[in-house]
Amino acid sequence: MAVVEERRGQFIRQDGKDKVTGLGRYTADLTRTGMLHARFRYSDHPHARLLSIDTTAARALPGVFAVLTQDDVPDVRYGGFVEDRTLFARDVVRFEGEIVAAVAALTPEIATRAAELIEVEYEPLPVVRDPERALLDDSVLVHTGWEGYQANDELVRRGNDCSRSTIAKGDVEAALASADVVVKERYVADMSHAVPIEPRAIVAEWQGDKVTVWSSTQVPFIARSGVATTLQLPESDVRIIVPHLGGGFGGKCEFHFEAHVAALARAAGRPVRLVFSRREEFIAPDHRREGQVVEIETGVSRDGTLIARRARLVLDNGAYAADAPFFPQLAAMMAVGPYRIPNVSVDAHLAYTNTAPSGSVRAPTAPQACWALEQHMDAVAERVGLDPVELRRRNIVREGDETATKQVFTPIAAAETLERAVEMIGYGKELPDDEAIGVACGWWPSFGMPSGAHVKLHGDGSGTIVTGAQECGTGSVMALPLLAAEVLGMRPEQFTVVYQDTDAGPWDAGASGSQTTFNNGRAVVQAAIDVREQLLELAEEVLEAARADLELVAGRVQVKGSPTRGVDITELAGKAAGDKLLLGRGSGSPPAMPDCDVSGCTGRLGMESFLAPTFMTHAVHLKVDRATGVVRVLEVTAAHDSGRVLNRMGADGQVEGGVAMGIGMAVSEGTQLSDDGRQLNPYLLDYKLQTASDVPSIRVDWVGAPTPDAGPNGSKAVAEPPCVPTPGAVGNAIAKIAGRVHELPMTPMRVWETMQR
Amino acid sequence: MTATYTAATTLDEALAALAAGSRPVAGGTDLVVGARQGKAPLPDAVVAIHGLGELYGIVEHGGGLRIGALASHADIVAHAAVRERFTALADASAIVGSHATRNVGTLGGNVMNASPAMETGGPLLCFGAEAVLASPGGERRLGLDRLLTGPGRTDARPGELLVAIELPAPAQPGGSCYARLEYRRQMEIAVVGVTCVVALDGDRIASAQVAITALAPTIVRVPDAEAALAGSDGGADAVAAAGVAVATAARPIADVRASIEYRRAMAAVIAERAIAAAVARARGGSETVPVPASPALHGATT
Repeated sequence: MAVVEERRGQFIRQDGKDKVTGLGRYTADLTRTGMLHARFRYSDHPHARLLSIDTTAARALPGVFAVLTQDDVPDVRYGGFVEDRTLFARDVVRFEGEIVAAVAALTPEIATRAAELIEVEYEPLPVVRDPERALLDDSVLVHTGWEGYQANDELVRRGNDCSRSTIAKGDVEAALASADVVVKERYVADMSHAVPIEPRAIVAEWQGDKVTVWSSTQVPFIARSGVATTLQLPESDVRIIVPHLGGGFGGKCEFHFEAHVAALARAAGRPVRLVFSRREEFIAPDHRREGQVVEIETGVSRDGTLIARRARLVLDNGAYAADAPFFPQLAAMMAVGPYRIPNVSVDAHLAYTNTAPSGSVRAPTAPQACWALEQHMDAVAERVGLDPVELRRRNIVREGDETATKQVFTPIAAAETLERAVEMIGYGKELPDDEAIGVACGWWPSFGMPSGAHVKLHGDGSGTIVTGAQECGTGSVMALPLLAAEVLGMRPEQFTVVYQDTDAGPWDAGASGSQTTFNNGRAVVQAAIDVREQLLELAEEVLEAARADLELVAGRVQVKGSPTRGVDITELAGKAAGDKLLLGRGSGSPPAMPDCDVSGCTGRLGMESFLAPTFMTHAVHLKVDRATGVVRVLEVTAAHDSGRVLNRMGADGQVEGGVAMGIGMAVSEGTQLSDDGRQLNPYLLDYKLQTASDVPSIRVDWVGAPTPDAGPNGSKAVAEPPCVPTPGAVGNAIAKIAGRVHELPMTPMRVWETMQR
Repeated sequence: MTATYTAATTLDEALAALAAGSRPVAGGTDLVVGARQGKAPLPDAVVAIHGLGELYGIVEHGGGLRIGALASHADIVAHAAVRERFTALADASAIVGSHATRNVGTLGGNVMNASPAMETGGPLLCFGAEAVLASPGGERRLGLDRLLTGPGRTDARPGELLVAIELPAPAQPGGSCYARLEYRRQMEIAVVGVTCVVALDGDRIASAQVAITALAPTIVRVPDAEAALAGSDGGADAVAAAGVAVATAARPIADVRASIEYRRAMAAVIAERAIAAAVARARGGSETVPVPASPALHGATT
C-alpha cells in the first residue's frame, strides 16, 4: 500500500476545481430546449380522505402543458420492503408532503399558480402523530387494509407496527433479578433531516420511447428501477444521469420524484425540470432521520460487569415505509452496542404515523440510539461508582467476544479506539467548572453488495475507469484512481473517471451504506488486475521474459532485479491500440456475512450480523453557559477502526464532516412538529445546522488493522461511522455540568430546563 | 402578472417609482429571501436603489453621525466612530445574519423591514436616532420610537424612502452594548436581545437607555430598567434590578425558537450582560460580551 499512503495529502480530486471555482454544473443548472417547469400540489392535510380532484382551472391557465394525478399514471404500488405507496395520492393522503398532483408549465410562476388552482376536496381524518400511541390497539390506522400489500416475507407487522425486530440472548429476567444494580432510563430523540445544501432537482426528456432523467440522486440504478416499475417501462428505456451532486447524506437515497417528472415530460411533449425549494426539501422527501423513543435498562455487577440489557425502542416510521423496515433490527443492535452482554432482550418497533416518511440518513438509527445508550452507560457508571471510561474499558468487545446474536469477532480495535480518543483529548485534565469532557463509543457495519467497473488503457497510456459508482461529495469515486494506479504502477492523475450514468457503468447500489470504496473499490482493483495481466502478456513478448519475473513500477513493466530491462506502459498501450485493446473488467463477490445465531430473534432483515464491523470512540470537550444553557463544543477527538485506511485525507474529511453533523444533531438540529404532524421549522433559519464558525477543532486518528473478509486491502466502512458516537459524547459532557438531558437535540432551552429541575 | 424591475439612477427617479407603487430593494436579504421562503411574494414592481450614491456613506457631524440608508452592516462595523462611540450599533451590525448578509444587507433595509427581532433597532432607539424619510414633497424626520409601529409595520407613508439615519452625539463619558441570545455563531436571529447605553457622571450612572429586541411586538425601551440604573453605581445590585425590570417588561411569545418561560428568563440574563458590558466600556475597559457570539464581533470591535 506504499503508493497510496505516500500520496496522502497530494491527491487532487477530479471534480474539485469545478466545484470550488463555480464552473461545475448541478442538475438545477441544466437547461434543455423547450424546457418546462414542474410544480407539485401537496396534500393540504396530514391525514385525509381524498374525495375529488378538479384540475379544470389549472389546465385552462395559459402556459400550462400538463397536469397529472394518479389517474394519469399506471396504478402501481411500490416500495422496497412493503409496497405501500403510489406516485400520487390515491384515496387517502397520509402526510403533509404527499403529492396529490403535478403541473408542467412555461415558467415556474405559472406552474405554481396552476398547482394552486387545482381544487381538491378532502374529508380530514384523525392524525396519528405520536409513534408510541400509534402502536396501541385502539389507534387509528395510517394504512387500512395494508395486510394485502406485497411485502418482504421477513417483515413482522401488525396494525401501525410496520416492522418489528427482537433480539434475545440468555435469560434477561433472571439476570436483572440477580444484578447488583439495575438502571432504567427513557430517552426521546426528535426527527431530523439530512439537509443537503443542494435541494433536489430533476430534468426529464423523452426521445421516442426512451427517457433520459438527470437527477440529483445518490442511487441512479435504484432510481432507474423506480421509474421503470412505476411507469411500466423496460429498464433499458430509462437512463439516469447524475450531474455534480450537491450533497446527499442519505436524503437522496432511493427512488423519489424521477417518475413524476418523466411522466410530466411525456404528457407535455417537452423536457421538464423540477427544482425544489428549501421548504420542499424538508417537507416532501421520504428520507428524514426518524425520531426514537428508547427505554433502556441495564443490570450490572458491582465491579462494573454488564450482565443484562433490556430495551424497547419505538421508531417513527412516518407515513410510508421507504427503506426503514430494517431499522428496528439495526437500532436493536445499536441498543446493545459494542459491549459484551450475556443476557439481552431488545424489542424494536417501527410505527406508522402521519408525518414525513423516514429513511436512511447517514448511519440510520445509530446516532440517536447510540446517544441514548452511551448516556445510559454513563448513568450506569455513576450508579456503580466507576469512571465512565473505565466502565467501557471493562465491557468493550475484543477479538473472540460474541455479539448478542453470537457473531464472534475476528481481530478488531474497539478497545484501541477508546484508549486513543481519551489519550488524544487528555481525559482527566483540569478544567474550569463549566467545562467537561464526555466520551462515547459506537459501532457500525460495512455493507457488502455487488458492484462493477471497467478499466481501459488508451493508446497514449492514459486510463479511464468506467464505474457504476456514485459520488455524493465524499470523494470515494474520486479516489478510485488511487486503487487502479496502485495496481498498474501508474499515477492517479493518469486516470479519468466516467461515472453517474446508468447507460455507462455496471450496476451499483450508489452512494449509500458507506459502500462505494468497500465494493466498487474491489471491482476497480479487480478490473485493474485484469488490465495488468494483459499488459504483462504484451510485455512478455517485448522483453522476452517470463511473466512471473515481471513487475509494474513507475509507469513501466520491468524485469525484477534488472530495472534497465523494461518497457513503458505507454509503449505497450500504443501497441495494444493497433491490435487487441487493453480492457479490464471487475466485480468480485461481496465478502460473506459472518456466522451468527438468530434463533432468539424475530424480524430478521439482514442486520443480525455485522460484516466487517467498524468501531469508534469520540471524546468531546465542551463548555456550558450555565445561565443560558448554550453549549459550545471546544474540541473533539475521534479514534476509528475502519480497518486499513486507503486514502487518509479523504477518510479524515469524512470524520470531520461526521463530527460536525453529530454536533448538529446533538445541540441544534431537530424538526419540530405541530400537534397535527406538520413541520414547524422547515427552513434553515430555524432548522439550525452547525455553521463553519461553530465547528471546533477535530483531531482524528485511525487505529484499525487490515481486516480479512472486508473491502479492498483490508478496509472497512468509513463514511457513516463518524456521526454515530458524537451526540452521545456531547450528552455525557453536558450531563457533567448541567445534569442529564433526555431529549435530543439537547437545545439550549432543554439544557436550561434540566438545570432548573 | 407582469413584474417590473427598475434600477434608479437618481433619488428623484426612485421617488417617482415609489410614488407609482414600486417597492424599493437594496441588498434584498429580507425581500428576496422572504419571497423564496414563501413569507410574502415578491412585489410586482420593484425599484432597485443600489445605484444611488448619495444614500451610501457614514458622515460625522458634531459628535453625531449620519448613516446613509445603503450603508451595509459591514460598512457600519468597519467605521471607527461607530465602534468607539456607538458601540452597541457595531455589536448589532456585526452579528446580523452571515458574512454574506452583512456585506449586502443595508441599515435602511434592516430598519424598514421593521422586524421586532432586527438587530440594529435597539441600538438606534437607545441612541435617539431619527429616520430621514424622503418623498417628492421633501424630507421629514421621525424618531425611531415613532417610526416602528408594529411587526413589519412603520409609520412611513406610501412613497416615502428612508435615505439616512441620524444619530445625535452621545453623552460622554459613556458606553453601550447590544447582546443577544445565540444558539450558534452565524446565521442567527435574535430570540432575546437587549441594548444598553449609559452615560457616566463620575462613579455613578448619569443616565441609561435600555431597549428589548424580540421580546415585544416592536423594539421598545424599558423605562423601569433605565430608572434602576440612573443614579446607581452600575454595580451588581443595580444591574440585577434592571434585569428584573427587563424580564417584567418583556411580552414574550412561544414559538419554534423558545418558550415564554425561557425567553423571560433569558431576558434578564442577556440584559445583565448587556448592561454590565456597557458600564465596563463606559469606564474604559475593553469589555467583551459574555455571550457565545462570533469571535470577530464583540471582542474584535473594542
